[in-house]
Amino acid sequence: MSPAKPENPIPDELKAQGWKEAVKAFFFERLGLDSAAALAAHKRVPIHSRELFYFLGGMALFLFGIQVVTGILLSLYYKPSPDQAFESVRSIVTEVDFGWLFRSIHSWSANLLIGVLFLHILTTYIMRAYRGPREFTWWTGVALLGVFMTFGFSGYLLPWNQLAYFATSVGTAIAENVPVIGKYLLLMARGGENVTGDTLARFYALHVVILPLTALALVGVHLYLVQKHEISVPQDMIKKYGSAKKAPSMPFVPHFLFRDMVGWYLALGILAALAALSPTDLGQKADPFGSAPPNIKPEWYFLFMFQALKDLPAYLPSENHKWIEGETLGILFFGFVGLIVAMVPLLDRGAASGRPRRVLNFFAAVFVAFIIFMTARSLMMKPPQNPPAQAPPAAAANPEGTS
Amino acid sequence: MKTTLFLLTFALLSGWAGLAGSAAFNPEPTATARSADDKKLAAPAETKPAESKPAEKPTEKPAEITPPASKPPASKPAETKPVAAKMPAVIEIKPIPDADNSCIICHTTPDSWDPKDPSQYKFYIPADSIKNDLHWRKGLRCQDCHGGDPTMLDPKAHQAKDDFHTVNRDGRLSPADVPDFCGRCHSNIEYMRHFNPSPRTDQLAEYWTSGHGKHLKKGDVNVATCISCHDQPHGDAIDRKPHGIRPVNEPASPVYHTKVAETCKKCHSDKELMKGRMYNGKPLLCDEYDNWKKSVHGKALLEKGDLSAPTCNNCHGNHGAAPPQMDSVANACGACHGKIAALFSQTKMRHKFEAVGLPGCAACHGNHEIRQPSDDFLGMKQGAFCIRCHEPGKEKYGATLAGAQAAEAIHAGLAQLKNGILHADETLAEAERKGMEVSEPKFNLQKASDALTNARTQVHSFKVDVVKKALGDGESVVKEVQGKADHALEEYQYRRYWLAVSLVPILIVIGLLVLYIRVLPIPEKPADASDES
Repeated sequence: MSPAKPENPIPDELKAQGWKEAVKAFFFERLGLDSAAALAAHKRVPIHSRELFYFLGGMALFLFGIQVVTGILLSLYYKPSPDQAFESVRSIVTEVDFGWLFRSIHSWSANLLIGVLFLHILTTYIMRAYRGPREFTWWTGVALLGVFMTFGFSGYLLPWNQLAYFATSVGTAIAENVPVIGKYLLLMARGGENVTGDTLARFYALHVVILPLTALALVGVHLYLVQKHEISVPQDMIKKYGSAKKAPSMPFVPHFLFRDMVGWYLALGILAALAALSPTDLGQKADPFGSAPPNIKPEWYFLFMFQALKDLPAYLPSENHKWIEGETLGILFFGFVGLIVAMVPLLDRGAASGRPRRVLNFFAAVFVAFIIFMTARSLMMKPPQNPPAQAPPAAAANPEGTS
Repeated sequence: MKTTLFLLTFALLSGWAGLAGSAAFNPEPTATARSADDKKLAAPAETKPAESKPAEKPTEKPAEITPPASKPPASKPAETKPVAAKMPAVIEIKPIPDADNSCIICHTTPDSWDPKDPSQYKFYIPADSIKNDLHWRKGLRCQDCHGGDPTMLDPKAHQAKDDFHTVNRDGRLSPADVPDFCGRCHSNIEYMRHFNPSPRTDQLAEYWTSGHGKHLKKGDVNVATCISCHDQPHGDAIDRKPHGIRPVNEPASPVYHTKVAETCKKCHSDKELMKGRMYNGKPLLCDEYDNWKKSVHGKALLEKGDLSAPTCNNCHGNHGAAPPQMDSVANACGACHGKIAALFSQTKMRHKFEAVGLPGCAACHGNHEIRQPSDDFLGMKQGAFCIRCHEPGKEKYGATLAGAQAAEAIHAGLAQLKNGILHADETLAEAERKGMEVSEPKFNLQKASDALTNARTQVHSFKVDVVKKALGDGESVVKEVQGKADHALEEYQYRRYWLAVSLVPILIVIGLLVLYIRVLPIPEKPADASDES
């Protein structure tokens, strides 16, 4: 009896189509990628003098991806406890292969990401791209900016160094000035009266679980809405060409995607250069009983708020008429500004008709100038000098020490 | 605290500010402590200074403080005790409210005294001065030391009273009487215990062993007594603060740690006053303060505010102030530099020094002008200490060539470790400037500095092997740290190299993309494209 003839492993129809087509068909049928391909083919990006603005969203997405990848790698070695956090980060940057690179890229990328998000939201405002039906795109974007700033605030503490410890103490203490719920906010942020290991644990949970899930969900909705409503064409283009349909545009795939990729590669090169030439420093391990560093400052994107709160007098309108604490007023002000920013699509009543928005523009310009001025002011402030007599003697720099 | 032990009687003794009380002089004045609860502290039974006779049992009244009887000590020179001999056995003074105290009323009122007349104005006692006086704070008032009756309002009446006394007035009390006068209370343990549960009461006994006390016994009244150091400046100056005796731990006190040297200087830098005075056959040069001020100790105390740095009394004693003897110099220095003194005490060098009369530590380091230690003190180069005795061909005191070689070997070892630490530190600093994380080796380098300090200490054993062992501990740390520092710099270069390498493919890809974008035609929008705004 002759052995059974083996079945032909390659179906005839595949032979006819060729390997590439067959594999493509396999995935397309099972994952329903046809609709995605159709969407990609359909998606176009307007061409005009401000088209650079369209790169910011893709750049933010790319940097977010960098954060996810480097963050996962760092989490393999990071230990979120006051006893081990600092040592584990030191081990990452000194002992783990390429640990220094991933930590520095994570830190630099976070800063670039916030900067890109600021620009993205500003350019979206300038182009009035929030107008109906894209209100939810705007709102998810504003929420994402808040989420990423919280990412930055929570990540700042994780190395558990002296500057981060005291900056977090100062930063969380601000929450106490929120009217009515301030005390509860403070306790919730710190996990107790003071910044302790409990604070570190909850900042870690916030940084690696809560915020990433929230960010992914918001990014998902944001991207879905961008696809759903397509990329906004500026009103002047519509006016010039009669309709958005007639305005010049290019396909997203591959034309705009290739342009996006140029930006991403540039960002990658910049991140590599920053990481190699200016690695993020580690500082001294946090000592809750030590003296606070003289130059406590938050990350640059909080400086304008930090400086404004610092500049406000303790009481307003005066020391003799203590109607309200300065910091409380400052927090209420920034809360109000945040609310206004979120409500921009609703406040700009003439967006659909293209009516000028002079009042909004005035306040937006004032606020942007305020941010720039306060940030510059804070950066230029010199830290108070310690008297030399109190400076601890450098251990190794004093080999002439007496016996 | 030390001052507390002095304070209870002598402040009101100074003749410059003698109070014109009118009560009868009491040689055993009651220190009537008027505490806040107004308890009356009654007069004591007669007691003697501690060193001459045990204090008698004080009165049984619990609320009363019994000051000791005043009795001139046997050691006191005969010519200095005219008043003390008249002192009655006991006096009991009733508390008098300050508002009714005629001493206070007159002597603290500036308008009563003419500032243009120093002979008169010196009797003015500024209220803010005397009210900071420790005796005043403890409840004592003028009459408790000066005698007299403060209820009398006649300005001249108190001067006629037998029990009224001031220093330098009518010969009733001489400056030479001051130590015993203060000692009546301050040497009485039971009396002083009212103010301090564990009082020191040996100051008077110490004083008579001091250079000051010995000269006073010989009849030399131009020496320091209690008030010379403890009282504030007084005399005729308009800004004087008589009767301002403060506790020693108050910075305003002239014997506060940072002010002791200035206080001693007042006499010991006065060439006129020191003229003819000798120690060990050598004249006092009045340069002690200036030398000390330039020393490592003086700079530490005066410039850095380091209160652990020694001043005059830390080496010479305070109440028993005297120069350390030849064989006690190492003990004086060893009070702070204990480990070094212990090492030195076990060396042959120490015995040799004692045999030839060299003053221990001071033989090399000097006494008042003690310089910041340097490794160059060791060895055979000019300026080093060792060469003074070990110089080949000019050896002194039996110094050997082997000693010279040992000194050079130790000096070389110290220099090697010191340079190693500096080099490692510089490398770490460079790595840190370049953003490398080197906190751990930086911390570890401290151990090498500790080893160097230990080696410098071990130098005083004068044993090469002991010093080399200490140096070896430091060398091994330096080697490890230097390795890590070098590695950090190599790592930095490595990163730069690979950055350049990684940027090449990135730039190539960017270039290709740009080229492709330039040639890729942009198709027209399909006809069915939706019209979204």
